[in-house]
Amino acid sequence: MPSLSLSGLEVRFPGLDAPSLRIAHLEIPAGAQVVLTGPSGSGKSTLVNAITGLIRPAAGRVLWDGTDIAALTEGARDRWRGANIGLVMQEFHLFAGLTARENVLLPARLARAAGPETLRRADALLAEVGLSRPDQPVQTMSRGEMQRVAVARALLRRPGAIVADEPTASLDPANGAAIGALLQRLATASGATLIVVSHDPRLIARFPRRITLQDGEIRADRTAELSTPALPEIA
Amino acid sequence: MLRFILADLRRLWPAAIVVVMLTALAVALGTAVTLQERALRLGSARASEKFDLVIGAPGSETQLVLSSVFLQPAALPLMPGEVLRDLAQDPRVAWAAPVGFGDFFQGYPIVGTSRAAIADGASALAEGRIFAAEGEAVVGSAVRLSPGETVTPMHGLPEAGGHAHGEIGYRITGRLRPTGTPWDRAILVPIQAVWHVHALETGHEAAPDHAPSDEAGHEDGHGLFDADAALDEDWSGALPGLPAILVKPRSIADAYRLRQTYRQRPDTLAVFPAEVLTGLYAMMGDARTVLSAIAIGTQALVAASLLLVAVIHVGQRRAQIGALRALGAPRGAIFAIVWGELCALMLVGLGLGLGLGYLAARLMSLGFAARQGFPLPVEFSGDDLTGLGLLALAGLVVPLIPAALAWRQPPLTALRG
Repeated sequence: MPSLSLSGLEVRFPGLDAPSLRIAHLEIPAGAQVVLTGPSGSGKSTLVNAITGLIRPAAGRVLWDGTDIAALTEGARDRWRGANIGLVMQEFHLFAGLTARENVLLPARLARAAGPETLRRADALLAEVGLSRPDQPVQTMSRGEMQRVAVARALLRRPGAIVADEPTASLDPANGAAIGALLQRLATASGATLIVVSHDPRLIARFPRRITLQDGEIRADRTAELSTPALPEIA
Repeated sequence: MLRFILADLRRLWPAAIVVVMLTALAVALGTAVTLQERALRLGSARASEKFDLVIGAPGSETQLVLSSVFLQPAALPLMPGEVLRDLAQDPRVAWAAPVGFGDFFQGYPIVGTSRAAIADGASALAEGRIFAAEGEAVVGSAVRLSPGETVTPMHGLPEAGGHAHGEIGYRITGRLRPTGTPWDRAILVPIQAVWHVHALETGHEAAPDHAPSDEAGHEDGHGLFDADAALDEDWSGALPGLPAILVKPRSIADAYRLRQTYRQRPDTLAVFPAEVLTGLYAMMGDARTVLSAIAIGTQALVAASLLLVAVIHVGQRRAQIGALRALGAPRGAIFAIVWGELCALMLVGLGLGLGLGYLAARLMSLGFAARQGFPLPVEFSGDDLTGLGLLALAGLVVPLIPAALAWRQPPLTALRG
């Protein structure tokens, strides 16, 4: 599972003098579970976009296990992201008219990365996230169910890192809690690094390490003691 | 990917149908124009093929062909009757048949002619026999009358104020096989009967024109008509003036010589109908160019509007396209989806348009054949492949533009903020 290492990262948007994001240094070890918080406009999403290769930073390095994705071309970043990152978004971006299984398989199929084993894994993942009907059209599902499909889709290609941008923001509290628990459980089971962006206090409370952003910079990076030990023991 | 495209099209079915219909209508317009123009050309050429040489009085060559071959009701000038006698005695002539018109029955033209014109061709009759007396008639294959029925001629078409020759009736004795010419809609009677009905006694000179527009000069001469009178097809005596004579030359060389002879006579005109039609087509060619330009212009307009719709559509789907990219779909796949969807719609529209255009041309031809008596063959030809290829190419190239826009779309747009 990859570790993330940022150094000298600067993201600028056209028309703005100051960089929207400036991170001198950040390390997230392999298999860690981290939450990014901060007020609106603090740069959370920009950071997610930079570490997933959706935008190219103006300066700095984004090293995932030694691969600097900031130096890759757009096509190479797409390929890398498809193979290494499981992305869960606030809006689920499921495609109406397709079944849950077809939605889970769609990005992998478009990337020509879906074999017979992938098909079996899609059904297993849907069962694992608590959906018993892989053939159900997604437009007939509840929002909570839709986000579960999106989670299953993110995990299909066994990504080394799961990045979720406000995964509970459009869900009711019960579903939000369930999705938070699900993400943590699946990440723990697969050993994937989990990075979640949220301003949902209940979700934030589930994570030991919380990085707070403000005005495009890291304001705080704290590791809290959890009532139940979720971190692996340090040797 | 195919499933995704199909699901996408199903979700956007109203837009998809509009794209298909627009493409289909534009293609149908061009197809129908091309097919119908060709059908008219081929149909009239085939209809005139059976008429080798037509001789009439000096005047319009086109009108002579339209009246004698296509039986279009119009007044023709008359030539002296002895032209027929000269032709009948000419060794270069296989047969020469006079033609006289002016009467109608239930909208069918009644054409006076001789047995020679009908007897040409061994299997000319489908049933019955050729007329043998003045009061007998033979009908063309498209005439809805049967042997045994009686025909009461009407002078001129009813809608043109014609009147009935009340006491006269022709008994139908036979029916011809289809010839594919306007004569399939004609009722053929002995020319002698036409003369007698219109009081043009053989042996009288200076007969007036007896076309339908003529209303006077024949009113009360029906007494000469005798239904049982034997036919006199020996043209050596004095004959009334004739509007047209159909001539079957013995050979092609004879045909050219005859045409020359009768062009040089001051009182006659000789034409090959096929040649006259060729001149007409040259004129029609300009009209076809205009129609084709209009059809191509329409197709270009439709292509432009579809392009606009597609570009707007891609803009509206930024989020969806961005999400697919963010989830790891390569931009090539996005390009293929947008291109494939639009191509599929346009090619379906193209196919549908070809069918619609063909159907429209067929319907127009059927209507035409019912009115004019000769079929217009609607058929595709090798020339169509070029145009079809260009249209298909446009269907493949135009969607490249929205596909390229989708390809350039950054994945970031899917995420919030």
